[in-house]
Amino acid sequence: MRLDWDAAYLDGRTAARRRATVRITRTGLDVALADGGARFFWPFREVRQTQGTYAGEQVRLERGGELPEVLLIGDIGFLSAARAMAPDAGHLHDPAHRRFRVGLTFGALVTAVALALGIYFVGIPAFAQVAAARVPVSWEESLGASIVEHFAPPSRRCDDPVRQARIDAIVSQLAAKAQPQPYTFRVTVVNSPIVNAVAAPGGNIIVFRGLLERTETAEELAGVLAHEVEHVLHRHVTRAIFQHASTGILMAALVGDVSSVVAYGLEGARTLGDLQMSRGAESEADREGVRLLQAAGIDTAGMITFFEKLSARERGGDIVPRYLRTHPTTAERIATLRTLAAAAARPERRLLPDDEWDSVKNLCGELPTPTRSTRR
Amino acid sequence: MADDPSLNKMRPAAQPGGVSPFARGPAPRPSGAADAHASAIPPGATVRPSPFASRAPSHAPQAAPGPTAPTAAPTTGSRHVMFRGSGASLFGIHVVNALLILATLGVYYFWAKVRVRNYLWSESEFEGDRFAYHGTGRELIIGFAKAALFFFLPATLLNMLPELLGASAVVIVATRTLVSILAAVFIPLAIVGARRYRLSRTSWRGIRFSLRASTGEFAKLWIRGWLLIPLTLGLYYPSFIVNQHRFLTNHSWFGSERFSFDGRGRDLLPAWFGAVLLFVPTLGLSWFWFAARRQRYYAEHTRVAGARFRSTVTAPKLAWLTISTWVGLICTVGLAWPWLTVRRMRRTFEWLSLDGPLALDSITQQAQQVNATGEGLAGFFDADLGFT
Repeated sequence: MRLDWDAAYLDGRTAARRRATVRITRTGLDVALADGGARFFWPFREVRQTQGTYAGEQVRLERGGELPEVLLIGDIGFLSAARAMAPDAGHLHDPAHRRFRVGLTFGALVTAVALALGIYFVGIPAFAQVAAARVPVSWEESLGASIVEHFAPPSRRCDDPVRQARIDAIVSQLAAKAQPQPYTFRVTVVNSPIVNAVAAPGGNIIVFRGLLERTETAEELAGVLAHEVEHVLHRHVTRAIFQHASTGILMAALVGDVSSVVAYGLEGARTLGDLQMSRGAESEADREGVRLLQAAGIDTAGMITFFEKLSARERGGDIVPRYLRTHPTTAERIATLRTLAAAAARPERRLLPDDEWDSVKNLCGELPTPTRSTRR
Repeated sequence: MADDPSLNKMRPAAQPGGVSPFARGPAPRPSGAADAHASAIPPGATVRPSPFASRAPSHAPQAAPGPTAPTAAPTTGSRHVMFRGSGASLFGIHVVNALLILATLGVYYFWAKVRVRNYLWSESEFEGDRFAYHGTGRELIIGFAKAALFFFLPATLLNMLPELLGASAVVIVATRTLVSILAAVFIPLAIVGARRYRLSRTSWRGIRFSLRASTGEFAKLWIRGWLLIPLTLGLYYPSFIVNQHRFLTNHSWFGSERFSFDGRGRDLLPAWFGAVLLFVPTLGLSWFWFAARRQRYYAEHTRVAGARFRSTVTAPKLAWLTISTWVGLICTVGLAWPWLTVRRMRRTFEWLSLDGPLALDSITQQAQQVNATGEGLAGFFDADLGFT
């Protein structure tokens, strides 16, 4: 076995590199410097290897504290020789181990992918649910307030206390059947042609004029409101925030330090995940919404009719698929709703006579504008 | 030799304005894909054996430090840092890191960072010797914890609490302003701290690099810059970045040898002005032109140990490297990161050389005490990514 190896020696004090010969002994390395002939001995116990574990790297051995002396050996055959010769050299890298390392790395790859999928599909949703349930209602309300501020700045709100009171009455009727619950529900109508409604955390429900004007009966709006109330009660938005943030952390862990650049690429995947979660939340809000309507003695037919209207619009290729896009396919939803609705008897009483509702739904004081009609 | 050895915690070296020549040169930058600096592609480099493939011993003495290199008299000529690493090895490291990060719920992140840096440094070779990275995960996590405790936590609380508690608008605006001021002070601390940490954990031929600068002075320079930029309608910007660069370079040392930079901001003013004027018509591409000009300028005005840096980077080269890296990362959702990083390091090193007589023999060890709080801070500012 070869015992003498060419090396370079760095003394840790100057930038000079000196040639040396290293001889492997049973307990350590005998080093002889080429010039000047100085000799010294490095016991294996005091030697650390810091480079030379990847192909092409020299073997770097260090000895000493913070600013160590260094021996550099170009031929990694040295490692095999030292390990074979000296019982104390077991901590040095074994070049024969590299093949095994490829296998390990591959195993790590498979495990990492499995773990990531598990975290993504099981861990994060569970965490988001638990975490969201622990957020104080007052925090949700502040968060909701800023969302309302964003969607419904005061200048764009439709303010008509009398007609608004009709809408508030519907929400109260629903909320009364959802007890016990910590939220105070409030509906804000925004003067915007968008056909949409948004449930902000903490009990603020934003209804856009476009949606309100499309309802023909109070029951239709009640259906939408019941759906949104359930979003609030199940803390769907709060949960989505946790989910979104944790997904970001998961992706950072997988992709590493690349941060912002890759973040754009990942945003797509993340959005898909969010939508997925959102569809689950929508189904839940639908289901629970129907139950809530039934508990409050409101006819569920209104909710179904309204969704059918939206569905017709969807087929017509209207440009506002937003309310729907995050939702399960409308046909599916309607089918589910019908099944649920069929289970209970329809109440006799109407919420409001239709002519009175015509006045309420035009709360924003505008009749459908020509632009809107053409769009439709 | 030196003072005491150093070691404490960590910090990232973030340069504000771009790549510092110094960093390009001798000290390969770590982690992130982003700024590798680099040098010549060794002619033989492409044939490198797969890192994983090595069966045994001996194919590799390529860069061997072997006893060959003479150390006497100053050598002359044009020298490059060469990056010898391979994307496959880096990918292997990355995979294991990702697994351990997931399994430890993120705690391993700091050790992962060290492993990546270790690899990148170890694969960077200058004059036949590899660089070495000496940071540890423990330092990094302590630095992170300190930065979180002293900066991130207070800033976040100040930012969110008033609103959550329903404070008045005045209070909210006041606290937000306070947070902005806090950030303005902490960013320069992060820049200096991170750089100081990284240099102190980098060695070549056993000699540590260091940054010996007063953080306060840099903060002054930084804050004055941000006050002057609006006052001069932006014209101060080139001077600002050059001043920062000069400060950081002139306080950077390799052992007992100081780097020196003699550039002046006004030399970059025309290029900067042109790039700004053309920014919109060229869809931002003019910025590469300025960035390349700046890199060349920084290099040409930086000296160490009697030698001078030189950069052959041009706008098309820089634009192609940057854009193709971005596109590659985005299209592969980051999976190509290891290969792209290797490519980036090679190119960057290839463009930079150190010319003239280089007197290394009189250089002695002079290490400094440093902790990693600044590195932790820089993490919060995402200052790792100086993708200029």
